[in-house]
Amino acid sequence: MRVLRASALTLAVGYISLGLAALALFAAPLWFAWRVTIQDGRREILGADATRLAEVFRREGAAGLVSFMNARVGMQIAGERLLLLADAQLQPMAGNLRAWPSSVPPTPGTYTIKADLGRGLTDVALVHSVLNGGYHLLVGRDTARLEPLERRFWYALASAVAILSVLGTAGGILVRRLLMARIHGIRATVSTIIQSDLSQRLHTDRSADELNTLSQTINGMLDQTEQLVHGIRNVSNAIAHDLRTPLAELRSRLEELALTRPSPQQTFAEIDAAVADVDRVISIFNALLRLAEIDSGLRRSGFVPIDMADIAAAAVEFYQPAAELKNIQLSFESGGPASIRGDPVLLAQALGNLIDNALKYTPDNGAITVAVRGEVERGVEVLVADSGAGIPDADKPKVVERFYRGDASRGTPGVGLGLSLVEAVARLHGSSLVLEDNRPGLRARILLAQDTLQITRAARGDDPADERGALRHEPVYP
Amino acid sequence: MKVLLVEDNERVTQFVLKGLQEAGHTADHAASGREGMFLAASEPYDVIIMDRMLPGDIDGLAIVEALRRSGKRTPILILSALSDVDERIRGLRAGGDDYLTKPFAFGELLARLDALTRRAQGEGAQTKLEVADLRVDLLTRKVTRGSRSIVLQPREFKLLEYLMRHADQVVTRTMLLENVWDYHFDPQTNVVDVHISKLRQKIDADFERPLLRTVRNAGYTLTAHDDRGAR
Repeated sequence: MRVLRASALTLAVGYISLGLAALALFAAPLWFAWRVTIQDGRREILGADATRLAEVFRREGAAGLVSFMNARVGMQIAGERLLLLADAQLQPMAGNLRAWPSSVPPTPGTYTIKADLGRGLTDVALVHSVLNGGYHLLVGRDTARLEPLERRFWYALASAVAILSVLGTAGGILVRRLLMARIHGIRATVSTIIQSDLSQRLHTDRSADELNTLSQTINGMLDQTEQLVHGIRNVSNAIAHDLRTPLAELRSRLEELALTRPSPQQTFAEIDAAVADVDRVISIFNALLRLAEIDSGLRRSGFVPIDMADIAAAAVEFYQPAAELKNIQLSFESGGPASIRGDPVLLAQALGNLIDNALKYTPDNGAITVAVRGEVERGVEVLVADSGAGIPDADKPKVVERFYRGDASRGTPGVGLGLSLVEAVARLHGSSLVLEDNRPGLRARILLAQDTLQITRAARGDDPADERGALRHEPVYP
Repeated sequence: MKVLLVEDNERVTQFVLKGLQEAGHTADHAASGREGMFLAASEPYDVIIMDRMLPGDIDGLAIVEALRRSGKRTPILILSALSDVDERIRGLRAGGDDYLTKPFAFGELLARLDALTRRAQGEGAQTKLEVADLRVDLLTRKVTRGSRSIVLQPREFKLLEYLMRHADQVVTRTMLLENVWDYHFDPQTNVVDVHISKLRQKIDADFERPLLRTVRNAGYTLTAHDDRGAR
C-alpha cells in the first residue's frame, strides 16, 4: 500500500514538474526574443536620434543644437525621452537633464543607467556620442514605458504555474482516489478468495485499461487454480479409491492366513500374492511421484538435443515382441528432421505408454503405426495410431485425467495413469496430447517444437554432439 | 562377499542383514555416517550399501564423495527414497556405482550387489564369453551353442551379452531394462519377459539342458549349474 501511495504521489509531482518544465522551456525563448528585439529596436531609434542631432550640430554649430534641443524638450511629452548636451567639462548646456549622470563615463558608447526622470528612479538606455569641439551628447529613453507589459508577462506566467500546480495536485489526488478505490475492490475480492471461496472472480469490463487487463489475468490465474484444486480433490479421491482395492485384497489375504493357518507351502504362495499386492500399491505411488516430478517442470533443466526418430525406433523395437505375441503388426515410419530439445527418458516413457496402450486395446491381428515426422506445422509430429476400439469423443478429454479408466479398460491391468503421464510429458515439452479418430481406432498425436538451433548446426555441418558437452546438465543416464 | 551396510532404519537393516546372511554373505552394519565412514576406511569390503538419509541430516552422498576423494574404490550401491532420475544421476556422479530406490525387493538388491562385486573383480577386456557350450564372440558378434551357430538380432545380442557377463547371477527385469535398453522407468508390462522368451527360443529350445532360467520373484539367470534358479 505504501508503495502504491508513494507511486500515486510521485506520479502527480512528476506530472506537475513536467508541466512546469514545459512552461519554462516555452517562456524562456520568448522572454529572450522579447528582450533582444526591444533592446535592439531601442538602440536603433536612439542611434538615429543621435545622428540627427549630430547633423544639426554639424550644420548649425553648438548654439544651433542648443536651441534645437530646447525646442525639442519643450515639445516633449512626459520626459520619456532624455536629451543632454554638455561641454567638454561635462557641464550641461541644453536638454532635460539637470546634470551629467555620474554613472555615464566620458567615453562614447551605449549604456543603461538608473536615472530620475521625475517619476522616481527608472532604467534608462543611453547613447553617448562625442561631438567635434569636445561636446558630449546624450540621447536616452526611459524603459519604464514597457514595464507594465513585462509585468503582465510575468503575471501570466505565474498564474499559469499556479493553475498547473493546482490542477496537477487535484488530478493526482483524484487519480489516486480512483486507483485506490479500484485496488481496494480488487483487494477485497482477493481476500475473500484467500478465505477459500475460489469461485469468486474480480469485476472486469470490456475496457482495455491496465487494471482491467490485470483483473482479467488474475481471473485467468484463478480459473486455473480452481481447476487444479478441483483436480487435486478428484485425484485424492481417486488415489484413495485405487489404493483401497489392493489394500483391501491384501488385508483379507493376511487375515485369512492368520485365521486358517494353512500349510507352509500355501502360506508362502499367499505371501507372494501379498507382496504382489503391495507392489501394485507401490507402483501406483511411483507413477504418481513421476507425474508430480514432471508437473513440477524441474525436468526442463535436463533438456538436451535429441532425435525423436531414434527414441521412437527404439521404443518400437522394444515393444515388437509383445506385438508379435498378439500377431499385431507394429510398424514405424519416419520422415524429415526430427531434432528436438527434450528429456529422452520421459519421451521414451511417454511413447512407451502410448504403444503399450495401443497394444492393450488393439485386438489380435490388428495394426499399430508409430510415426515421427519432421516439418509438420513447423514441428515434429509423434503419432501412434492403432486399429483398436478407439475412444468415444465424449470420453476423449477424460482419458488423460488421472485414474480415469474407460469401460473398455475394465479387467485390463494398469492404474489409469498412463495417458496422464503422456499428457504431462507433452505439456512439459510445451505441447499437448491430441486424441483423434483413426476410423477405426485411436490416433494419439503430440506435436513437439523443432530444435531449430540444431537444424542450422546440422546444415552448417557442425556436430550437434558438441552442444551436449557444453550443457550444464549433462545427460548421463548410465 | 563382505558387505558394509550404512543404514539407520532398524527394520531395513534387519531385513537386509538377514537376507545377506541367508545368501551366505557376511555383513557389517553402521548406523551413522561417521561410523560408516570409519568402517569403510579401515576394513576391506567387497561392496558398500549406503543409505542417503542418515541421522543428523547427513546425506549419504557426502560420505560417498569423501570416500572417493580418499581414494577408496570399493563399489558402492546407494539406497534412497528419492526416486527422481535427477537424484539418481546425482548419486552416480557423487561416485556411487548403482542406485536403488526404496522400497525394494531383496532379490533386486542382492542381484545388484552381485553385479557390482563381479564388475569390481574386473571383467577385463574379454572378447569371448562362455557359459557351458554357449559361446559368444564379442568381436565377430558370432553366437554358437555346441556346434550350431545362432543368429541374433542386435538387441537380442546385447541382452545375451549382458546375461553372459552376469552368468550365474540373478539379473532382475529392472537391471535388464536399465542396461540393455537404457530405460530408466517401469514400462508397466511384461515386455522384458517376452524378450527373454524369444531369446530362450533361440538359445535353449533345441537343447537338452536349458541355460536361461527364470528365478521366481526376482528375475533371470544364465547358468550351467542346476542348483541355481530357485532361491
